[in-house]
Amino acid sequence: MVQLGGLYGLWLREVKRSIRDRGQLIGGVSRPILWVLILGIGLNPYFRSEVYGEVTFVVPFTYLQFIFPAVIALNILFTSVQSAVSLIWDREFGFLREVLVSPLWRGTILLGKVLGGATVAVLHGCLVLLLAKFCDVSLTVPKVLETLGLMALLAFALTSLGVVIANHIRSFQGFGIFSNAVILPLYFTSSSIFPLDPALSREQTRVVYPEWLVSLVEWNPLTYAVDALRGALIGYNQFSPGLGVLVMGIACVVLFAIALYEFRRV
Amino acid sequence: MPSAPNSGPAIRVDAVSKRYGRTLALDGVSFEVRDNEAFALLGPNGAGKTTLLHILCTILRPDSGVAQIGGFDVVKQPLAARSRLGIVFQEPSLDDRLTVHENLNLHGLVFGVPRKLRRQRIEEMLTLVELTEWADKTVRTLSSGMKRRLEIARALVHDSEIMLLDEPTVGLDAQTRDRIWSYIRRLQAERGITVLITTHYIGEVEACDHVCVIDYGKVLADGSPAELKQQYGQQLLRIVPKTETDHAEIAAQYAQRLSKVSATEIVLTSDDAFSEEFLTENGARIRALSIEVPSLESVFLTLTGREIRDKAAGGREQTLAFGKIGGEHTR
Repeated sequence: MVQLGGLYGLWLREVKRSIRDRGQLIGGVSRPILWVLILGIGLNPYFRSEVYGEVTFVVPFTYLQFIFPAVIALNILFTSVQSAVSLIWDREFGFLREVLVSPLWRGTILLGKVLGGATVAVLHGCLVLLLAKFCDVSLTVPKVLETLGLMALLAFALTSLGVVIANHIRSFQGFGIFSNAVILPLYFTSSSIFPLDPALSREQTRVVYPEWLVSLVEWNPLTYAVDALRGALIGYNQFSPGLGVLVMGIACVVLFAIALYEFRRV
Repeated sequence: MPSAPNSGPAIRVDAVSKRYGRTLALDGVSFEVRDNEAFALLGPNGAGKTTLLHILCTILRPDSGVAQIGGFDVVKQPLAARSRLGIVFQEPSLDDRLTVHENLNLHGLVFGVPRKLRRQRIEEMLTLVELTEWADKTVRTLSSGMKRRLEIARALVHDSEIMLLDEPTVGLDAQTRDRIWSYIRRLQAERGITVLITTHYIGEVEACDHVCVIDYGKVLADGSPAELKQQYGQQLLRIVPKTETDHAEIAAQYAQRLSKVSATEIVLTSDDAFSEEFLTENGARIRALSIEVPSLESVFLTLTGREIRDKAAGGREQTLAFGKIGGEHTR
């Protein structure tokens, strides 16, 4: 009972403080607008090729439609890692110190933290959904529900990843390094902003793109999450449809387990 | 929750050692804190006070030795030990984006205080530390003195029997420090709370029942303030001789009492009788003389030496400095 009450308290705290953090909120709103409106609209015309005067899209979607699910993933990625990274401060000086000397188990504390961070990340993912109209993505209730489920899985896995990273960091001087060293590389290599052409075979792909890039994209778990989101929102899958959920499910379990194992020694 | 196995001392620390890499932070520290006592842990920076406190509140594990809170071993039964503790850390550990009330309520949730009792306690504690009007303000709008008072209130929202305070009065003005001590005394009287406080303000220690001086991870002295003064306090005679010959003669004559000699000054260890005798005999040969009576401060300096402890900032301090200048997404 104490554990449950504590879990609720920690979750609530995480959500409340994130909502009150104006900086984070501004990032959550401006990021998707920049990516969708500026990059998306800007690159939209280049996302097709003309053969003998006939316009064909590389994939049967506009670039805006194509990038839309990926921007959801990006927003979740930023917010998840951000809230997990606040653990560094929290652990050394902040509130977490107080909680670590409470009668709560370490597992409860971590779960509260991760669930709270994931909730906020899903909320930020929903901010992107508001832009659906501008991207010609039609939203139906089942579509939105499926997307929410995928976002929750992704957010939980990424917040756990953030905690794993935070567990290893003793000195913290800013979030910039995480953005540059973790978030953007993960994002760019997740087939988020350019597709690996589905019409090409594996061998052909490796001819068109350099071998290392193809491998990076295929090894990046986020690729499969983005793919699953695309499947849900625009009905386009590069990989088999269930694969994304599977990869995210495994990532949730494995990353949370690692995070907990290391967190117990804090 | 298991009840206390025996009604021994509130805190028992027995031969506790802790090593960080090559430095021995604690070297076989032992002491006991009796029920309802105000116990001060006095020591210079880096003496091992905070390390010891972290072991008591189960954040750190001792390498060897036993520490018990209300009879519960901090390593074997950390949850039981923790539920009896109210802790105020050296750095504020409030969530400063939450309001005063939210902070207290969260603490109550985390410590499993039932809703009704929680509401009542929060009100009581806010009254005690005089922050009732601030209940709905976010913590970031509070001054550092108010934050400290809030933390003391927070440590008492659950059924804490023993309060650990790590330098609770550092950086606060005299008024706030005084007020904090008055809260502590009231709590001792009203709730029968045992208090373990670390400090390097020697003046504050005088009012405690028991003082333990530690340095370089070792207990140097342990007793009531009066006992310490008697045992370690040394009356000193500070003499400025008139001429160099006087200087040499006095130094030679009282060689066995010599405490310190500089070009102009001689310091002799003394007591009341000797000071009298010295004055009558050598009154004509000195330009100035002062008698230094033992204070806790001089006891402290005798025990721990006079040099300043400089230490490079570690990762922790750097992070703290970053946070203080308003580092993003942290506070």
